[in-house]
Amino acid sequence: MLTYTPGETLAHRLDPRGKLAVQFSFAIAIFAGPAVPWLPAMLALAVGCLLLAGLSVWRALRTYWVVLLVLSLGPVLGAVTLGPPWIQPERGLDSLRSVARVVPVLFVSAAFVHSTPVRETRAAIQRTVPGRFGQLLGVGVALTFRFIPVVREDLRRIREAVLARGGERRPLRDRAGRITTLALARSMARADRLSVALQARCFAWNPTLPRLSFAPVDYAVLALAAGLALSPLL
Amino acid sequence: MITVRDLVHEFDGERVLDGVSLTIADGEWVVLAGPNGSGKTTLVRQFNALLEPDAGEVQIGGVPAAENPVRARTSVGMVFQSPRDQFVAATVGADVAFGPENLGLDHDEIDRRVAEALGAVNMADREEERIDELSGGEQARVAIAGALAMEPDHLVLDEPFTGLDWPARRSALQRLDSLAADGTGIVFVTHDVRDVLDRADRVVGLESGTVAFDLPPDDARERLAEIDVRVPGPGAG
Amino acid sequence: MSQEYSDSVDLVNAGTVAYLSGAVLIAALTAVLAQFSIDLPGGVPFSFQPFGVFFAGILLGPIWGGFSMLLYLLVGIAGAPVFSNGTAGVGIVLGPTGGFLISYVFAAAAIGLVAHRSLAPVSVDDLPAVGVTAGLVVGSAIIYAIGVPWFAEVQGWTLPRAAGFMAPFAVGDAIKIAITVGIVAGGNELLERP
Repeated sequence: MLTYTPGETLAHRLDPRGKLAVQFSFAIAIFAGPAVPWLPAMLALAVGCLLLAGLSVWRALRTYWVVLLVLSLGPVLGAVTLGPPWIQPERGLDSLRSVARVVPVLFVSAAFVHSTPVRETRAAIQRTVPGRFGQLLGVGVALTFRFIPVVREDLRRIREAVLARGGERRPLRDRAGRITTLALARSMARADRLSVALQARCFAWNPTLPRLSFAPVDYAVLALAAGLALSPLL
Repeated sequence: MITVRDLVHEFDGERVLDGVSLTIADGEWVVLAGPNGSGKTTLVRQFNALLEPDAGEVQIGGVPAAENPVRARTSVGMVFQSPRDQFVAATVGADVAFGPENLGLDHDEIDRRVAEALGAVNMADREEERIDELSGGEQARVAIAGALAMEPDHLVLDEPFTGLDWPARRSALQRLDSLAADGTGIVFVTHDVRDVLDRADRVVGLESGTVAFDLPPDDARERLAEIDVRVPGPGAG
Repeated sequence: MSQEYSDSVDLVNAGTVAYLSGAVLIAALTAVLAQFSIDLPGGVPFSFQPFGVFFAGILLGPIWGGFSMLLYLLVGIAGAPVFSNGTAGVGIVLGPTGGFLISYVFAAAAIGLVAHRSLAPVSVDDLPAVGVTAGLVVGSAIIYAIGVPWFAEVQGWTLPRAAGFMAPFAVGDAIKIAITVGIVAGGNELLERP
């Protein structure tokens, strides 16, 4: 599983806003631009991002192997037809051109995920999305991240309890309904307690925002993002 | 100072609090004891305007809590029963910083308060640790630090140490003792006074939404047993 | 001492905090359910993820239900391993199945709107089974209406081919709709909120 890993690489030190901008404009460049001639250059850039974050290409491939498997079905199944002529290579080629664009995007996002803690993305959201909506999104992302392990533990216990009471012999409908209901009830009870705790600590619309600051290198990252976003117009 | 006057609170037509009056001075160590369902939690949630009264009033430092919830919530810090549901961040430092951030303090002041609050609960320099990897006792202490970072006059703890073993409880109680020695008022809400009876200045017994008694600890033992609160037996802790 | 903050701190009101907390927990539950399945006879996995989307709309209504799924999407983009097979990152959202992930925001909002017939949610007890069923059917249609063309586009396939590939999943979703209606119509007191 690929998640944030503390480190000292250049990618780790960059401002999250620049990194987010590069990710999105990279996607714009690759999906809106002339795919084939640019593809090798974009792939090279993506591999560069991986290396800057201290990740190997192999690690990125292994992380996303299920997606890559689905992508590889594109050209294979795309070339097959249900009647004569049975195989249409040019259709497979069309699909290959399409799915190949996703691979560099996956690499860039692997580099981001590996080098950026969730709380920095949260800070970027709160500092970029204006007003109350940005505040709710930022705090919401931080809270969701915090509660995932808690809910995972709840679900594990529920599953064990249902199994222990012979749940396996019950019909699917009954079993799935029981697990879902218990998980929802426990989650909503936690929501009620969280709600009280947030209020007790003066949860406000206008808090001090998390620290973020641009270093000179971050402006270079932003320039790269702008260049990528505009590249389809060339 | 917390002043409660003729407080009435109803849930679905049922009177949970039926005319409670009570005064808690700054720096006082008070045990608020009562059986389950006696209205303890409902009462203390009024102290920082998490609930509003149906009749009567709570004043914090002379100002009605309902009129100025920010003042009530900075002056009275709350620690709830299950620490896992009151943490708002994945790491210790980010969680403790949440309250001061909401007050709009600058980053240096926030850092200072976080360091001081964690120091006060023996968790200094552990800002970067993941909360889910801490023991139950450490989580309880981080929850206390989250309230302390607001620099409250009173700390209200609502059954805070449920499920903790004695060494973890003892360690947390020692931190409360030193906070009390530094002038923070403690309101300890519980249905089991065995750990705290000797520490308190006063014991307030709550039964069926009314104050049954308000006595010094030594005089309260017999009355506590009458309202089904567990008291230290001979030879026990 | 505390007087100084009273004027400057703009507290979020209790109702908004309650809905935000609900949205957070449903987003976290959706993230966990995305990694959770039980094996049917023959080893076919029965995924629980759609229940997160369904109940976001049913319990939280259109606005907060949609918001909850937006939190799920963002926390995955931010790097929490919440997409299928424990993956994360914007590459997954832009990949072949990303249309399904994005559709959750709209599906949860649509389910909430049809089931509650207003922007503000009513009590789950008061939801008629017909409305809930209609909402879930509309929501599922939205999931496929966004997810399948997206899949076709990324794979470089024709739409019928992509639809044929995804069709078997619709059977499982129909079962999940039935289970969900059963939970809600059962008047389950576990789901009542104060």
